[in-house]
Amino acid sequence: MKADYTNPVYTASKDVFTNMLGWDIIKGDIQLVKEIHTHSKINISIGITGELRGTILFSFPEELVLEILEEMSRTKFAQVDQFAVFAVGELVKIISEKAINTFKGNGYQCESCPPQITMGDMQIFSAAMGKALWIALKTRGNAFDLFISMDENKKANHQ
Amino acid sequence: MLWREQYKIGVELVDKQHEELFRRLSAFIDVLRNSTPLEQKMDEIEKTFHFMGEYVQVHFQSEEDLQAKIGYPEFEKHRRIHDSFKQEINAFQEEFYKDKYNEDLIMAFSGRLLTWLINHVTGDDQNIAKYVPSGGVDIES
Repeated sequence: MKADYTNPVYTASKDVFTNMLGWDIIKGDIQLVKEIHTHSKINISIGITGELRGTILFSFPEELVLEILEEMSRTKFAQVDQFAVFAVGELVKIISEKAINTFKGNGYQCESCPPQITMGDMQIFSAAMGKALWIALKTRGNAFDLFISMDENKKANHQ
Repeated sequence: MLWREQYKIGVELVDKQHEELFRRLSAFIDVLRNSTPLEQKMDEIEKTFHFMGEYVQVHFQSEEDLQAKIGYPEFEKHRRIHDSFKQEINAFQEEFYKDKYNEDLIMAFSGRLLTWLINHVTGDDQNIAKYVPSGGVDIES
């Protein structure tokens, strides 16, 4: 998978976490996988359509979602509820929009779809483009995962 | 309290409006997430959504007046962001008044509102600060 498609997503994630939360993200293992096997309970995916197409998926553990919410709201959260899930869904949307701005700057016209939220351990998603780049990430001691499955949409490019 | 001094952009009116928005949102999150049944806090929820809808319009206009006054180069882009968010608020309010006791809808919109506002103030609005003259600017005159 081309770095042109994956680097903007990682960079956008790092920027959003730094600007909004003041937290750094550390990159861990990177693997190319044929299927997306999530490791955490809160999974938020965003579809990309246009001259690039595919999916960006974040898999967050509940503890991290609670920490993010506590940092943003300055309120103690005992459990992940609808409020928390949609607040973090919006965070993922902001990351995707930032990445899309970079794609557009690189000449790819594309848009994002609304976030899809799936809750549950060990979920399996098919990689939109037959393969996905799995990037293990860490912030403030919490591990979470980013999966990017994206490719050029040749049909859109030739229209 | 969600407000942080580092969010200031150096224009008194806009900074005060941001602080007020955060103060109201903070109080609202406390109301929304306490254990009181929805029916008993509906007045407060309704008042806050009404306030947010009105105040956001006033605040966005102040920001746009400021940008016009200082010749902010990303004025159009910023206005599109405001317009898009105003549309989202209108769409939500329409849904809300159709089904006021839909807790999922209220929680979903409020969660998104929190994240959107923090991102807008820490990102898009901080960019305006770079173009504010060091002595500040009066946008009320």
